[in-house]
Amino acid sequence: MTRGLRRVWKRLLGSVGRSAPDADLAEEFETHIALMADDHRRRGLPADEALRQARLQFGSVSATVENYRDQRGLPLFDSIAQDLRYAGRAIAKTPGFAATAVLSLAIGIGANTAIFSLVNGVLLQPLGFAEPNRVYAVRELAPTIAPVNPMHLLEWGSRCPSLEAVALMRSGRGQLSGGGDPISVRGARVSYNLLELLGVRPLLGRSFLAVEASEGDDRAVLIAESLWRSRFNAAPSLVGTSILIDGEPHHVVGIVPDWFRLPYVGTADVRFEIIRPLVLSAAERMRSTGNFNYAAVVRVKRDVDAGRALAEMNAVVAQIAPRPAGTASLKAVLIPVHQLVTERARVSLWMLAAAVGSVLLIVCMNLANLLLSRIAGRSREAAIRTALGASRARQFRLILTESVLLATAGGLLGILSAAWAIRVLVATSSLDIPRLHEVRPDGTVLLFCLGLTLFTGLLFGVIPAWRFTRSDPQASLRAGSHTITEPRSGFRLRAILIGLEVGASAVLLIVTALLTTSVFRLSRVDKGFEVDHLLTFDIDLTDRRYADAARRQMFFDRVLGRFGASAGVEASGMITQLPTRGETWNDPIYLEGGVHYPVNNRYASPGYFSAMKIGVQLGRAFDERDRGRGVAVLSEKAARLLWPGDDNPVGRQFMGEDDKPKTLVGIVTDVRATLPLAAPATAYYPYWQRVPGEATFVIRTADDPNGAIGLAREAVRGEDSQLPLQDVRTMEQVVDVSLAPRRFQATLMIAFAACALLVASLGIYGVVSYAVTRRRNEMGIRMALGASRSGLLSLVVRQSMTPVIVGLAGGIAGVLLVGQAIRGLLFGIQPTDPLTITGVVALLLVVGAGACVVPASRAARADPVSALRTE
Amino acid sequence: MSGKTEVWQGTLALMLLKTLNALGPQHGYGIARRIEQTSANLLSINHGTLYPVLLKLEQEGAIASEWGLSENNRRAKFYRITKAGQKQLAAEVTQWAQATDIVGRFIALKGSKA
Repeated sequence: MTRGLRRVWKRLLGSVGRSAPDADLAEEFETHIALMADDHRRRGLPADEALRQARLQFGSVSATVENYRDQRGLPLFDSIAQDLRYAGRAIAKTPGFAATAVLSLAIGIGANTAIFSLVNGVLLQPLGFAEPNRVYAVRELAPTIAPVNPMHLLEWGSRCPSLEAVALMRSGRGQLSGGGDPISVRGARVSYNLLELLGVRPLLGRSFLAVEASEGDDRAVLIAESLWRSRFNAAPSLVGTSILIDGEPHHVVGIVPDWFRLPYVGTADVRFEIIRPLVLSAAERMRSTGNFNYAAVVRVKRDVDAGRALAEMNAVVAQIAPRPAGTASLKAVLIPVHQLVTERARVSLWMLAAAVGSVLLIVCMNLANLLLSRIAGRSREAAIRTALGASRARQFRLILTESVLLATAGGLLGILSAAWAIRVLVATSSLDIPRLHEVRPDGTVLLFCLGLTLFTGLLFGVIPAWRFTRSDPQASLRAGSHTITEPRSGFRLRAILIGLEVGASAVLLIVTALLTTSVFRLSRVDKGFEVDHLLTFDIDLTDRRYADAARRQMFFDRVLGRFGASAGVEASGMITQLPTRGETWNDPIYLEGGVHYPVNNRYASPGYFSAMKIGVQLGRAFDERDRGRGVAVLSEKAARLLWPGDDNPVGRQFMGEDDKPKTLVGIVTDVRATLPLAAPATAYYPYWQRVPGEATFVIRTADDPNGAIGLAREAVRGEDSQLPLQDVRTMEQVVDVSLAPRRFQATLMIAFAACALLVASLGIYGVVSYAVTRRRNEMGIRMALGASRSGLLSLVVRQSMTPVIVGLAGGIAGVLLVGQAIRGLLFGIQPTDPLTITGVVALLLVVGAGACVVPASRAARADPVSALRTE
Repeated sequence: MSGKTEVWQGTLALMLLKTLNALGPQHGYGIARRIEQTSANLLSINHGTLYPVLLKLEQEGAIASEWGLSENNRRAKFYRITKAGQKQLAAEVTQWAQATDIVGRFIALKGSKA
């Protein structure tokens, strides 16, 4: 075996090298013959006869050399090397074609590799958890989907044999002081066994101990790698020391790597910078019903079906009594963690992948077309090769070698451009893709690129190669070189390719137009408030110093008071959750004894509505006179829920989220909580009725809202010099965050569609100009017989446009199929929007006709005499 | 048939190895001469056919070669057997002996039919 391998290796080496061993061989043979001749001479033969005898005895030198060469190298390899040299020469002869091919392939392969690395990194690769397919996020149906009740989870953990482990999570900010300015960081509290459950090891130190999950012993913290680097200079000695969080010393037990994400429902991509042990207080354990307020994960035992685990969980929860009021049945829901993290990005990524795939396909069809034209011009060459005995297989391989060589050059450039594109995508992208920053070109991506390159080379080479072997040597050799006419089937083949190119481009263009229109419509949608001239920032009062609600209320009162007194501030206010930042805090409102309606629940200051320019439809916003009274403002939708038939319910009473009676003082316009979704029913209460720990301030200014940043900072510092302003942004930027992913996606699609359009029009141009060159004689004869120039022009354009029109029809059919799949990515437009489809069809017709007219008019302008003289 | 036998496929390698083993380093012509002499000129070999076999053996590592001077002062390539070659030779000799033994038995069988 090793002997065989050694031989193959030596032969491979033999194939690569060439001239020196040949010279050696010649010398060796000459010596052999000379030695033999010496012997003959010694036996008395004359010198020339001795040499003749020797040569005779040696046999044919050239046959030996051939035999020897076949032994020395690998014959297949040798002929491939020969094909490569030949293909290289053929390509180098037409540098224009080669450059076009390599560049378009580089773009196609590069874009595909870049998008694949996103798909690979985000959709196909595991999360870094051990055996992630056994880890599930849990939610409960009670009766609408909700976070988890911790008491239920504890029951599941102890009573379900299919579950290996369970863990709870809950987010909450923490204020970090010491080692620099105090900062507020995202934090989470998790069950002590969470890291173990997920199979994640800290970079340094350890995970939590069971003892750290008991009240009083829970001053332990895990710190994210990024925070460790930015604030603690990546000092390994941090582990084991104490840091101040929320004013209390915490023992740093370990550092968690940056790629680590908590599988946290609702905020899948949030990185938590500090993680502390979760302690269920004795009081919380005693409450029989518990709150549905926790995120949870479970690990199912190996070889156990998730369905069985779910059945056990539902059986357990069915026995838990008493049920929370108003819930008919409790059910658990298991969501695979991977799906949880990537669900939103899935359709969007697959669409981008399909789009770049079509671009590459169009590039391939175009190159196949160009190669076909080249090959038609080389039919004499093919004929001579066949006449000299080249087999069809060899001819086929020769053309494939050319296409694969081109593809390889394109692929190499493609890898470079992909590496660059990935870096740009990751750095600048606002795509709503979780784990995007983890994407980098790795071995899998490289392998994909290699495979894609080979596949591409074969794809666009196989049809031309097949045509090359089909040329009839007799016919080609008989005819003079310039009168060779290609058989009709060659034109038909190219027409089909053009039709496919146009069809694919049409689909791509229409989808792009739909997405672009969606972004535009979304940005212009009536949000219920006015976006311009607003500055916003967040304040976090979860610090222990603000544990007292009265202390928080005083802070809010005084900061708002400072803004009211500032010059340049037209209006100011504060609210618990800004519009467009999502629906949260769902709590019921109801009439005494009536149906509970869940609505979005907000705490706001009196000035909030005028600052946002949210229209007060009836009554008034709350004001200072309402302190000490139970009042509320409802959105139009919310008011209609409670009093469907009442035109002016202002002044009536209902039960608010705290189950206390509220007097309705006003009704305001509906406001969008999520940009693409209809405005939810919303209830607003004055902030002093339940003083929030976190809130967002809005300041309406006369000039550039950024001019008010200094003023805002001063106002807050004036009350509390320790307190940072977070997420200082204009309202336009806040809205933009929810638009950016769609806009970026549309931008990418525009780029892809533009490539497709360019390549397809080049393809049409190439085919038509080739066809008219070939038909110069025919044109000359037609003109000599009296055809007008305009008649010729319209003849060529009519014939060339046929595949374009057929392709367009196919493209429209394609959109009707694809449209359903991307419906979720559209806003305010149907996938079958007739205006968009008509527009794209018109665009493609114009571009296609343009690509036809230029070469056609050149043909029509030709002088009939010179056209015929070339005969 | 002119009374001389063609070389059987595959046996030339064995002859080459054996010759090199017995003679020590030798150039191509010397090997050819020696094979002819050993077979008492019953074997006809085209000298050119030796070289592909020498190449194959060299690629397999059974023999090695280097340039040297022949007895009458011509530059020639000398081949010598390697350790691996000697092992291969021993194996092939055993194999060959077995083969001839088996064939011999069949021939003997024919004779003792009665």
